[in-house]
Amino acid sequence: MKMHRFLPLAIAAFFALAFTACVNGKKNTGGGGGSDGDFVNGTPLPERQEGVSFLGSNVDRSKFRPVYFGFDSVAVDGGERGKINEVADFLKSGSNTLILAGFTDERGTPDYNRGLGERRAQAVREALIIAGADASKIQTVSFGAEMPAATGGGESAWAQNRRAEFGVVR
Amino acid sequence: MPYAPRAMKKLHAFSLLAISVLACAPLLRGAETPTITISKSDKLAVAIGTLSGADGAQVAKILQNDLAMSGFFNLVPAASAGFVIGGTSSGASLAGSVTDRAGKTVLSQTFSGTPRGKVHAFADEIIETLTGNKGFANTKVAFVASRSGHKEIYVADADGSGVQQLTNDANISVGPRLSPDGRTLVYTGYKSGYADVYEIELGSGARSRIIKFPGTNTGASYSPDGRQLAVILSKDGNPELYTTGAGGGGARRLTRTTGVESTPTWSPDGGEIIYSSDDRGTPQLFRIPSGGGTGRLISTGHSYNTEPNWSPDGKKIAFTVRAGGGFSVAILDLAGGGARIAAGGEGPVWGADSRHLIFADGGSLILLDAQTGQRTTVVSGFGKISEPTWSR
Repeated sequence: MKMHRFLPLAIAAFFALAFTACVNGKKNTGGGGGSDGDFVNGTPLPERQEGVSFLGSNVDRSKFRPVYFGFDSVAVDGGERGKINEVADFLKSGSNTLILAGFTDERGTPDYNRGLGERRAQAVREALIIAGADASKIQTVSFGAEMPAATGGGESAWAQNRRAEFGVVR
Repeated sequence: MPYAPRAMKKLHAFSLLAISVLACAPLLRGAETPTITISKSDKLAVAIGTLSGADGAQVAKILQNDLAMSGFFNLVPAASAGFVIGGTSSGASLAGSVTDRAGKTVLSQTFSGTPRGKVHAFADEIIETLTGNKGFANTKVAFVASRSGHKEIYVADADGSGVQQLTNDANISVGPRLSPDGRTLVYTGYKSGYADVYEIELGSGARSRIIKFPGTNTGASYSPDGRQLAVILSKDGNPELYTTGAGGGGARRLTRTTGVESTPTWSPDGGEIIYSSDDRGTPQLFRIPSGGGTGRLISTGHSYNTEPNWSPDGKKIAFTVRAGGGFSVAILDLAGGGARIAAGGEGPVWGADSRHLIFADGGSLILLDAQTGQRTTVVSGFGKISEPTWSR
């Protein structure tokens, strides 16, 4: 897969960035074209819909492929732009609402992972809003390192777990 | 708050010795990996004498373990003991006493409660009377365990006895935090499909969902007076640190960052909160006035710092660092000096004595005497254990 070829490079690049950030005390938000990290306030979430759960039968998790993330990163990579536009177009063309679920790999502590997963879901939400989707139609949830897409250790599994899934509400 | 010693002149020598060793500890911490050994002569020699009553033998066993766990005593035969402990146990009450070598009674008190609770209460009273320190025998620990196939919350005595499954959600139940008085517990649960904060009243088992804003609600942690919660909410577009009332109402936002805030802990006077934030790239620790203000970075010397826990005496924090692919428990003196690694493991929480820590290490809940390095496994056999919490 194309992604795997670039992944070691992306990881090395991120470590370099993260180390620099630690040393300089500044946050490097990486690429992402300003769609993920440049909002101090983010866009507030709408009220939840009654009786709708990402884990429930009225949410379709497989209509769109997840957005994947680098290690400890919330940056929405340029390569994910196609997916974002496809989902934004879908939302604009109909009345469906969306629950974005954020996940991490297992390599962090639990509560930080819950926050990191949420940050990923919200980064994708911001990208959808920029692509024209209605903010009031999009909810977020984070499961942290729970419910991995791939079990077992190693970078192959971890890369599949660092994701934001699109849950289309039927 | 430390209690003033209530015993005689003889004790002052022991107290002075203990205090001088404790005072050396922060200086030694500046060195690489200091080991501070308390020799046997630094501990008080006590004996467990006659414990009569139907459950006397059981009482003696629990008492012996509690006193040994405290780190302050050597349990010896009565002939060589400085103090002899005795008592009568009947039903729900335990009449306990401590006498010195001269036969003078230095403690005489009746303790009531559950069969184990009354003994733990006696142990803590012995510790306070003879050493001036607060004991932790009569406290509760709670933790996440995966034995059932799902992450559920469990609660136990501080010695690991009486493990009780508190939730049966067959879902994801995580992030427990006991109130300082041990009467209630908040945790993050996903019954709604979202991460919400629930509160359980331990006595009655009554549960209610108290924080359910849009997005993710997690990391709820009680203030020392039990009247507020610090919590991480993402409702405004990003996971940020807030405070609420103990019932979950009146949310006040404290941070405004592009990063992820997590795991807040309160100072003993409730005036400050220390939390983890990755706003500068990797998760670092910051301190902020609980009424609002600017977060100030705490320099630890590590690049990944989460799960801070403030000691009851206000002097130290314990926290988790990630290095070399694994997690370690670190301790930092807030008055200065770097952090030292105390053990491999994660999620450290301080006991009431500001000396012992409990943390998770794979399938074990470990009690660590941070002063001597002594480790005891208090719980195992419940699958993977994580996110411990400890009442005071």
